[in-house]
Amino acid sequence: MAKVFIYPTTSLILSDLVARFGHTPLSAALQIREHIQSPGLESPPLQITPEDPKRGLKWAAVEVPSGVRGRMSLYGPMIDQAEAAIIIHDADFSFGCMGCARTNELIQFLLRKSGIPVLDLRYPRTEEEGIEFVAAIKKFLEELGGGGA
Amino acid sequence: MTEYHPKYTNTVTKYVFVESPEMTPGDLAIRTYEISQGVMIKETCFGLQITGNEDDVNAIIDHLRKFDPAHIFVKDRGFPPGDSRRCRANLGGARPGYFGHEFEISISRFISKGLEELPKRPIGSVPKPPVPAGSDKLDAKKIQKIIESVET
Amino acid sequence: MSLVRIAQLSCGPEYSGVQKEIDEAARSVEAEIFFPDIRLADIRQGFDLFGLDVRSPDLKLAIARARALVEGKIEADAVFIATCFRCAEAAIVRNELRRYIHENSRLPVVSYSFTERTTAGTLLTRMEALTTIARRRALLAREVQEGLTLGVDSGSSTTKAVIMQDNQIIGTGWLPTTAVLKSAEDAVDLALKEAGVGREEIQATGTTGYGRFLVGEKMHADLIQEELTVNSKGAVYLADTQHGPSTVIDIGGMDNKAISVQDGIPGTFTMGGICAGASGRFLEMTAKRLGVDITELGPLAMRGMGREVPMNSYCIVFGTQSLVNALAAGSSPEDVAAAACHSVAEQVFEQQLQEVDIKEPVIMVGGTSLIQGLVKAMGDLLQVEVVVPHHSQYIGAVGSALLASGFIKGS
Repeated sequence: MAKVFIYPTTSLILSDLVARFGHTPLSAALQIREHIQSPGLESPPLQITPEDPKRGLKWAAVEVPSGVRGRMSLYGPMIDQAEAAIIIHDADFSFGCMGCARTNELIQFLLRKSGIPVLDLRYPRTEEEGIEFVAAIKKFLEELGGGGA
Repeated sequence: MTEYHPKYTNTVTKYVFVESPEMTPGDLAIRTYEISQGVMIKETCFGLQITGNEDDVNAIIDHLRKFDPAHIFVKDRGFPPGDSRRCRANLGGARPGYFGHEFEISISRFISKGLEELPKRPIGSVPKPPVPAGSDKLDAKKIQKIIESVET
Repeated sequence: MSLVRIAQLSCGPEYSGVQKEIDEAARSVEAEIFFPDIRLADIRQGFDLFGLDVRSPDLKLAIARARALVEGKIEADAVFIATCFRCAEAAIVRNELRRYIHENSRLPVVSYSFTERTTAGTLLTRMEALTTIARRRALLAREVQEGLTLGVDSGSSTTKAVIMQDNQIIGTGWLPTTAVLKSAEDAVDLALKEAGVGREEIQATGTTGYGRFLVGEKMHADLIQEELTVNSKGAVYLADTQHGPSTVIDIGGMDNKAISVQDGIPGTFTMGGICAGASGRFLEMTAKRLGVDITELGPLAMRGMGREVPMNSYCIVFGTQSLVNALAAGSSPEDVAAAACHSVAEQVFEQQLQEVDIKEPVIMVGGTSLIQGLVKAMGDLLQVEVVVPHHSQYIGAVGSALLASGFIKGS
């Protein structure tokens, strides 16, 4: 069972397919859940405090905007643990956690730099593309080994 | 600075979306209540949110998926259901993630088709998925030909 | 008091840990933040029609939401635009949205670029101005001072008091701010003395400036108001340009304001205060260094050539050092004075005036507007004739006295 970084990290489709084929999707929700379920200082809505952009300094320098560093404090640890990644490139309507293009560029770069296997896709627009899309993801995940589906 | 005391610790919440000609979110909810001992179920317009300890939630989801495998989709959620920090009524507008779901649900029929067709594919066939467009530059000689054909 | 509903257009505050600060600042001025609700189809269409092809989804969402507000599909009283400091993409969107909303609706709008260090306190004055404009349009429509009123501007450097009667300034008081309350009391006494009236005769009082709450409470003020709206009002009143567009620039002791005004009501504004090198303090230090009174710095600068002096820092410490070096290298005090004025004007120009639409007349107010060298430097940079109205150093006090007359009983 491999830990698979999904991009967009909020994707229902990727989250579902990765889990369905027996692996662990690394999604934004897991990090948000950890923030929401950890005691600390009140900082609605996401319980991200001004300390989190400082933690993001591990992945982005101080001259990088706070919103990028704050987001990287969520994704950086996930990138560090990821054993594979699936990236959908035309994820234009992923807001919030995926709302910043600069963060998204950095995530993709760090994933590639880490040398893990990456599957690059775009969203299917027809049934035929849907069939190939699902088949490609299944094949990619099978090749990672250890899947249970 | 106010201290924050989280609720619902050590639980997981998962979204269960259903986009099916055979099953409505209401049907899904009824099936879930039948087996939902100890977990929290919340019906929504697209399906359900299930909250509880991870093993229990996963067991229910495994069970639910069987009803309509190609049309039920599941993902994790960071917030417990009905959390005021993410609530439309409080924010004035949808939480940002909502639009992403709205978009993906609109194309989920292609994924469903893919899941249905999967067992029918010949073993060893190579998928040709939609990939990001590369830079399809025209060959210089071709451009030259086009220019010449326009000029003449 | 009913809640003012402020629509938030933003990218990044939740991830910078500052959304709660924005909410808190709004709550403290009886306002609430909300996120305009639109559909996915509206996002696509709104974004495409606006025509600014940015990459970040949250900025696309902000653009689409702005369109929904301008088109009246979503009701709001005011708009707050917030994006990360140092993000170029967001800065372009922030500026274009502010301009778009300003030009196409009556919604007051303020924008801010935050870091993780932004606090509710920093945002308070801006939120207060935003809600005042939304809530008090009737009050801000006042063009004539009536009765006998007192206005006090408790600033970070100086405290000013003005007595007005029947649309005339009849007494003024001006003192450096030491102890906030004592300085205010003394400035008021000076103004009362000059006006020849007793405190008990005053019919209404207004306060503004950093010490507005403290002084306002002590003097039982009828109006306690931040300086953005008060100064805008005072500026167009004194410059006699109450109708149509104008731009108000106030370079203060601690922060600077640039306000785009329409019919006496601020539309968009910026407040800067990160660096003392862009403030009146820097000019005070220059005057001290040159051994002249601050009142002599302006005429001195008018005789000098600022460009003759190498200034390679905007910082108050290093900037002053540059001036000292220049003097040691033989530069004339005139040139040094002019260079200091140019430096402050240039910094305000580069960092703040780019964010508001400069529409003439450009009115400079506040104590620094009396430094002619600074006014000239600003005029040169903007390539306009800058207007400095009479009593410009009393701007906040005049604005307060003018607006306070709306509170005279029976008026």
